[in-house]
Amino acid sequence: MLGSGTRDARRTERYLDGLTTADDRRASEVPVDVDVDPAVRFAVRELRDGLTRVHPSFRFEEALAARLATGAARQAAGLPVEEPGAAAVPGTLAQFRGRPTGGTDALVATAVPAALTAFAATTATEVAGSEAAGPAADGSAPAPASRARAIWPAAAFRLPEIAARQPRPLIVGGVGVGVASAAISLGAVFVAWRHSHPATSRMGRAAREAHGRTAQSGRGRRPRVIDGILGVVS
Amino acid sequence: MLSRVEDRAHPARLDRDRGLVEEARLDPSRFDALYRKYLAQVYSYAYYELQDHHAAEDATERVFMQALAGLPRFEERVDAFIASGEGSSGAADSADFSTFRVWLFRIARNVVANERRRDRRRQVSSLEDAAELSAPDNVVDTATAREAASAAWEAVSRLPEDRRRAVILRFVDEMSTAEIAAILGRSEGAVRVLLHRALRAVADDLRGRLS
Repeated sequence: MLGSGTRDARRTERYLDGLTTADDRRASEVPVDVDVDPAVRFAVRELRDGLTRVHPSFRFEEALAARLATGAARQAAGLPVEEPGAAAVPGTLAQFRGRPTGGTDALVATAVPAALTAFAATTATEVAGSEAAGPAADGSAPAPASRARAIWPAAAFRLPEIAARQPRPLIVGGVGVGVASAAISLGAVFVAWRHSHPATSRMGRAAREAHGRTAQSGRGRRPRVIDGILGVVS
Repeated sequence: MLSRVEDRAHPARLDRDRGLVEEARLDPSRFDALYRKYLAQVYSYAYYELQDHHAAEDATERVFMQALAGLPRFEERVDAFIASGEGSSGAADSADFSTFRVWLFRIARNVVANERRRDRRRQVSSLEDAAELSAPDNVVDTATAREAASAAWEAVSRLPEDRRRAVILRFVDEMSTAEIAAILGRSEGAVRVLLHRALRAVADDLRGRLS
């Protein structure tokens, strides 16, 4: 024995099913059940008019389709649909300038001189090549090797200072950091190369000679210092 | 008339997506067909529940990504449900019943529920959004439709959570009582009563506004 509430609920369901069937058949007439509560019929009419299905933007649809295609390809390859941690490029926290103990000290003690050695070897090769080639076509003397060595004293004097500074964290990681580091290194090499090569124009040679004269004041000290650190350019 | 309606088979109890599901299982790239078929339905459900365009997009994305990942584990349970009596009002029967659409909307229900829990600020309805749902060319029709949409949506948004969900699934996604019951984890009888009471409440609300 059904209660009146359950009976009304069933009647309402049949009414709704009838409307859905009429929609499926694209029928112009909709079923009417006189026993259905008029308030329910009124609400159904309002909700059918008011609650329409909505569609997301085309851009969203295609973007999600692309993501699903990528996920499907990963799934076919036996991988998880979503790449774990793909949203963020991980970086590593490293201590760039450290106390005398630990890995940072080792970095300063080995990596920096090694870089200087590599650079000096390259520069010495270039300078030796310039000297072996003899005087330039216009009769000017080739660049002396000491000119290349004179670039580094400032950096050499700073090494103990760097090692003594307080540690400061540095984020290292990702492609961007590597590219920036490489660009800085290339820039330094280019500046050093320009300093070690004679200018080809008359104006350029004059400017370099004038610059060389002002740098002569400390020259006796600097080559010895850089030679002591590098131990290769001599 | 009603007897004819009663005779109508419950179409959702035969999984019409069985072929597409099998294809997608063999070749995951074929999931695209299921995605295109159900995108608007899932998005609409999320949109009406969350009342925010961006939140609905986020939820829709999560639903389909989870569905793609879980498709190998999806288990269609239609035959067993029909064999068990098809109209019984036990909640266990509804829980056993599962087509791809029901399974997908169970995922959607969970995703949306999590989203709502995360952002309780979305309890207030956005009537401007609801008013933009229909946009016929005629200005008078547009104004009337917007007014109707706003009034209807306001009335629905004031319903308790379970009634509101049942109404959205019924009127927006055009689901049967059995499907709604399976998605909400309720018995068919309970869903019938939910819908009936929801409609009466909406009628009272709308009539109160008109008067």
